[in-house]
Formats: sequence, structure tokens, C-alpha cells
Amino acid sequence: MAQGAELRQKIKEVMVEELMLDFDAAEIADETAIFGAGGLGLDSVDALQLVVAIEKHFGLKIADAEKAKGVLQSVETIAKAIEAKG
Amino acid sequence: MRSILITGGNGGLGLGIGRYFLEKDPEAKVWLGVRANRTNAEALANEVSGRCALVDLEVTSKESWESAVALILEKDGRLDVLVNNAGLHRDHLLAAMPDEAWSSVISANLDAVFLGCRAVIRPMMGQRFGRIVNIASLSAVLPPLGQTNYAAAKAGVVALTQTLAKEVARSGITVNALLPGYIQTEALSHMDEEAAKRAKSTIPMRRFGKPAEVAAAVLFLACQDAAYVTGSALKIDGGIF
Repeated sequence: MAQGAELRQKIKEVMVEELMLDFDAAEIADETAIFGAGGLGLDSVDALQLVVAIEKHFGLKIADAEKAKGVLQSVETIAKAIEAKG
Repeated sequence: MRSILITGGNGGLGLGIGRYFLEKDPEAKVWLGVRANRTNAEALANEVSGRCALVDLEVTSKESWESAVALILEKDGRLDVLVNNAGLHRDHLLAAMPDEAWSSVISANLDAVFLGCRAVIRPMMGQRFGRIVNIASLSAVLPPLGQTNYAAAKAGVVALTQTLAKEVARSGITVNALLPGYIQTEALSHMDEEAAKRAKSTIPMRRFGKPAEVAAAVLFLACQDAAYVTGSALKIDGGIF
């Protein structure tokens, strides 16, 4: 399993591919907010697809909405959750 | 291989859709969702050994849906198409409708579609491909007397279809509804000759539809190339409107 910068790059690539985003992975900073104004501007439909994609690509199961809120804040928080899972 | 689950797999329309897939799509592996009555479904499965199987499915039970979908994913590794076909009607004028006739019809026709869609949506999102075809009814838009329960449920199916279509549009999943009119299945067996004649007189084509004529629309909506058709509600009714 990738770690560090490699993992964060892979998360960005998965987001662009699975959410059909019309910008490059390189344009996403590790700390950029995924939702809300000033961030990537994704919505709740994207959130569900992202939850499924994270489980498929990284084996991290996000079981409930509360956990999702914590994990899906930025690429950095997603990466930390994946790294914590081991 | 394309894995296809059809609910109400022992009934005339479910069997007709299953048979049509098996005849027209060489890649199709058909799962017929059945309950206690399964004789007809078993006969079809025996005809095409290896390409058609039965799965226990009580469509109003969340647990049953989870078990059925888990079994299909275990056996086939994917589930490409869900056809929500199971349903029933218990006609009464509203003033005389027993509570049970209301609740059982809403449950079997609307709750079941909700449960089915919810059970398959995550696996389909993971695949980034899925086709859901909900068999509603012409009653959703042209309700006859005595079907407040059935018409409300089927109109609900159309609304569910259109809403879900938007929710999963970016995930490679399409969701569409079909609205069959009079189709020649056991559902019309209660009609005597005179009633059938009266019904046919309201149909511009002057005949009932065949299960294969509904199945052809299902096959189209389920195919790869129908990727841009979603949230639609297609009447199949010989021209009634």
C-alpha cells in the first residue's frame, strides 16, 4: 500500500477518475477542502461515489455518515485515515 | 458475461423478460428472484443450464435483498442489471379498501423497489456500471377505478426512478421505468371474455401486449449503448393515452 506523497497522489487520481472531475489531479492540493465554497465544490452525490471508490481502491470502509464527515474533508484527511488503517 | 437479476421471476412477465435476455444476449446470465412458487422459473433454468439460476428473494425484506445480492456477487463477481418486476394488485374502491390491501400493495410494489435499488446501488457504483429497470404500470399515469393503492405505488416507482436517476447519473448507472398497459400474462387471467373484449376496445391496437414486447424495451434500456437514457418513463400500451 502506498504511503506519504505517493498515496496522496493516488487519492487525487482516483478522485479525478471516479468523480469524472474536469481538472487535473495536480491541481488538487493536499489540504484543499473537498466540499463547500472555496474548495473543490463537490456535493453529496460525489461523497457517496467517493466513499465507494475509497473502499474499492484503498480497502477503507467508511461505515457511517459521522465517520465520513471526518474522513472526507481533504485529500490529507483521507490519506491519514487510510494510513491509520494500515 | 453480464449478470442480470429479475424479480418476480416465476410470473409471466418476469419469465418473459428472462427468456428474452437469454435468447437475445449471449452474454446474459439471468438470475430469477423467486419465493415459494418457482415451478416455471425452474423449468426455464433447466432449459438453459448454466445461464439461468434461481435466487430466493422476498422483495419486501431488506435481509432477503442483502442475501440475494451477496450470493450473486459471490457467484458472478458483479451485478450489471436489476429488473424490479415483482408486484401485485388488490383492487378495491377506496371507501371499501381494507388497510391490508393498501399496505400490502404499497409494500410489494413500492417498498420493494426502494429496497432493491438500495441493495444494488453500492456494488454498481463500485463497478461504475449498472442498469436498473423498474416495471411500473400504465396505472401510474392513467389510473383506473379501484386502484388507488396500485396507482399510487406505481406513480411512486416512477418518481423514485427519476430521482434515483439523478443521484447516480455520474456513476455509470442508469435508472428507467417502464409503464406497461394490458400485457397478456396471468395478471389478466381474472378477466372473462366480455371484460377482455371491453378492455381491447380501449386500445388503439385492439390487442393485449406480449411479454416479449415489454422485454424488448428492458433489453434496450439494459444495454451498454443506452448509457445516455436515464430517468425515463416509457409507456408500452398499444397506443392508449
